[in-house]
Amino acid sequence: MFPKRLKWQYNPAILSRQAIQWIAFIAFAALFVWTRRNDGLPFDIVNIPFRLNPLVTFAEAIAGRVLLTGSALALITVALTLVFGRAWCGWLCPLGTTLDLFEPKRGLKIKVPEGWRNVKHILLIAIVVAAIFGNATLLIFDPITILFRAFTAGVYPALDEGVRQIETLTYQNFPEAGEWVMTVDSFLRPNWLPIRSLIYRDGWVYVAMLIVIIALNWIAPRFWCRYLCPLGSMLGLLSKVALVKRRVTQECPGCLACTRACPTGIIKPENIYESDPSECTMCMNCTSICPQLGNEFAFAPAPAKWNTYDPQRRQTLAIFGAATLGVFLLKKNPFAQLIRKYFIQPPGGRENNLLSKCIRCGECVRVCPTNAIQPSVTEAGAEGLWTPILVTRLGQCDFGCNSCGQVCPVQAIPPLSLEEKRKTVIGIAVIDKDTCLAWGKNTPCIVCEEMCPLSPKAITLEEVYVRKDRDETLLIQRPVVHNDKCIGCGICEHKCPVEGEAAIRVQAMETVKI
Amino acid sequence: MSKLSRRDFLKVIAAGASGALLSGCGQPAPAPTAAPPTRTPLPPPTLVPSSATPLPTAAPTAATTATPKPIPELVVARGDKPEEMIRQAMKALGGMERFVKKGAEVIVKPNMCVGYRTYEYAATTNPWLVGGIVKLCLEAGAKRVRVMDFPFDGTQQQAYTQSGVEKEVKAAGGLMEFMAAFKYTKVKLQNALELKESEIYDDFLKPDNVIINVPIAKHHAAARLTLGMKNFMGVIVDRDVLHHNLGQRIADLNTKIKPTLTVMDGIRILMARGPQGGSLNDVKKLNTIAVSQDTVAVDSYATQWFNLKPDDIAYIAAGAKMGLGKTDWKSLKVEEIAV
Repeated sequence: MFPKRLKWQYNPAILSRQAIQWIAFIAFAALFVWTRRNDGLPFDIVNIPFRLNPLVTFAEAIAGRVLLTGSALALITVALTLVFGRAWCGWLCPLGTTLDLFEPKRGLKIKVPEGWRNVKHILLIAIVVAAIFGNATLLIFDPITILFRAFTAGVYPALDEGVRQIETLTYQNFPEAGEWVMTVDSFLRPNWLPIRSLIYRDGWVYVAMLIVIIALNWIAPRFWCRYLCPLGSMLGLLSKVALVKRRVTQECPGCLACTRACPTGIIKPENIYESDPSECTMCMNCTSICPQLGNEFAFAPAPAKWNTYDPQRRQTLAIFGAATLGVFLLKKNPFAQLIRKYFIQPPGGRENNLLSKCIRCGECVRVCPTNAIQPSVTEAGAEGLWTPILVTRLGQCDFGCNSCGQVCPVQAIPPLSLEEKRKTVIGIAVIDKDTCLAWGKNTPCIVCEEMCPLSPKAITLEEVYVRKDRDETLLIQRPVVHNDKCIGCGICEHKCPVEGEAAIRVQAMETVKI
Repeated sequence: MSKLSRRDFLKVIAAGASGALLSGCGQPAPAPTAAPPTRTPLPPPTLVPSSATPLPTAAPTAATTATPKPIPELVVARGDKPEEMIRQAMKALGGMERFVKKGAEVIVKPNMCVGYRTYEYAATTNPWLVGGIVKLCLEAGAKRVRVMDFPFDGTQQQAYTQSGVEKEVKAAGGLMEFMAAFKYTKVKLQNALELKESEIYDDFLKPDNVIINVPIAKHHAAARLTLGMKNFMGVIVDRDVLHHNLGQRIADLNTKIKPTLTVMDGIRILMARGPQGGSLNDVKKLNTIAVSQDTVAVDSYATQWFNLKPDDIAYIAAGAKMGLGKTDWKSLKVEEIAV
């Protein structure tokens, strides 16, 4: 059943809720845009949406075995929930607001069994169990990270590219409008859009995930929040003991108005219009639409009852077992046993046990000025899906930047100072002497040496005479990497002029050092 | 949500689009310039007929009148105040007004090759020198002075701030332009021998623009030195393709980009491990600048700072062979001034 559209503009409760939803969404989007180096907001501010999120901070604390003071912000959300129930979902969550925005007028006629509400609890329990064994893979299902990843790798780059194409077409075809295009451009960049074009591998995947979640709205409004969201599950279970709950009064006319208006479909005639606080997002549609004073949100400290779709003991044990097996399966993955040659993590991540601490939020991916940091697809194995890796062919680890460690909301990438970062070895460059122009083709090229930012350089040139043809010799400079100096920033790989795969590549240091 | 019908929405879009188009049309068409802009070396100012003061232009032959000092072709200024050095050097060259007319668009191209070095390391052009140039141009009546470069490591923003150039340029009243992707234009290099085509930032191609090249003299492994001609690698898209036969291709690039002036920053020079350096031991304080309209001559002059000869630098040799300028700077009228 799809909720009847409300005449919200006449209702103060709905009006204030929607105002707060918009403010929270715009704040989320603004913090996203200002997550950047040089001229963004302080990194401790931009990552607040993640530190307010009790699911990721809780899972990270267990899996990473570390308590971060910054994560204490999540207690605000917990406290809010213990008073007002799942108000986060109805009033603050930017993904929830997105789903409200795409609420269909007429949905598909598919009936979802009530038992499906259990799925989100399964996800939550699996996340907690996996976290106990040091795994954080399932955090890819956290709603805030889903939205942030989709913004980072899909929506924003697409918007940027669109504007760039329009600018280019206008500028190149209408020279008279050149000054005008420049004026628009200098307003847009770097304030709202990046100066440099953004590149993300498989950006469509993250958008597709968001689109699927939005599309599920056509089966049931807020399908994601009702059935799937692990954060919703966590807040929902806390809401069982929330101080404020909805209750039906004696004036209830039994008109079904609230049943139709409820976005999570939890008000049912068969339950005499009572609702389950762990499914209620406190949106106040029901109290606003009621022709009488048939229901109200009131102080009701008594714990709510446990429903059939809430986690059961036997089921919890089963998930516990399954999740444990799953984690060990990932850990016994043969690829995890081998050292992956091109698995390069952001500075300090390897030593910091990044895979267990990373919440897959994509803040580091967003902030990296060169697009060297990309969400891993296969490089980090199934266990490390969408954790950050460095793809140094796409961009180097900028010698003047330490933003990834600073912005990481859970310090999975350690917050190194610039001096420390410049000494942190993330990999070592190895020359492929067959494809290298200087080594393999006797063609003068010193780009890797030129680019090396270290002093003294980790790549130096040796001069050798080579036979060019039958009776002509040629003095050629050949690059040599000094393993004891190289930190693996990868600018050599990024700038290598060989087409396709570079002739110099950053490798995991274990595969290079003896 | 307040409802906006599709029709209303389309109306708004149409209104916005037509407004945008109209505002575009409203741009004043470029005023027809009285004299076609020239790229050839300018005549000394005494020969420029001035309509405001119709003084007799006959050459002062009488022994009583002081003979006007001949305008030098290369000025070398030494001192420790970069801004004053460029001011005196430009005065010797006949004043900045000789090159920057009232209302001119000026593009200044310093070397800001990386985003992580301060000026002390001599990887980037001296900020006070750039600031001084901006000031002189504005005093000469330039419409606006834009300063830009595209670093190979680090972002433009970082390079602009870290080098210190942004601060001095803004203080002097100039603009730092972030080089926009859409302004790179593919052009044919008719006079080139190898690099027949390149995508170049269009401000460096417009004949009306006054381009002031402000390189810093540095060591470079392949080219041996980074000087004025090589500085224009910063304004093209595909730098990789230049690395095959670097010398000839840099000279080719310089057949298309013609700076009005080249100001060589020899205040602090990088003797080794260029182009970005990183150790103060590699930096030598020279407190010198060299200014000329002839980039090849300035570059040739700067080679001696590194105990090299002009012909040791492939692009200088190639440029001279193509007639882009003189390597034999001693044959020019050189004025050396101490500030």
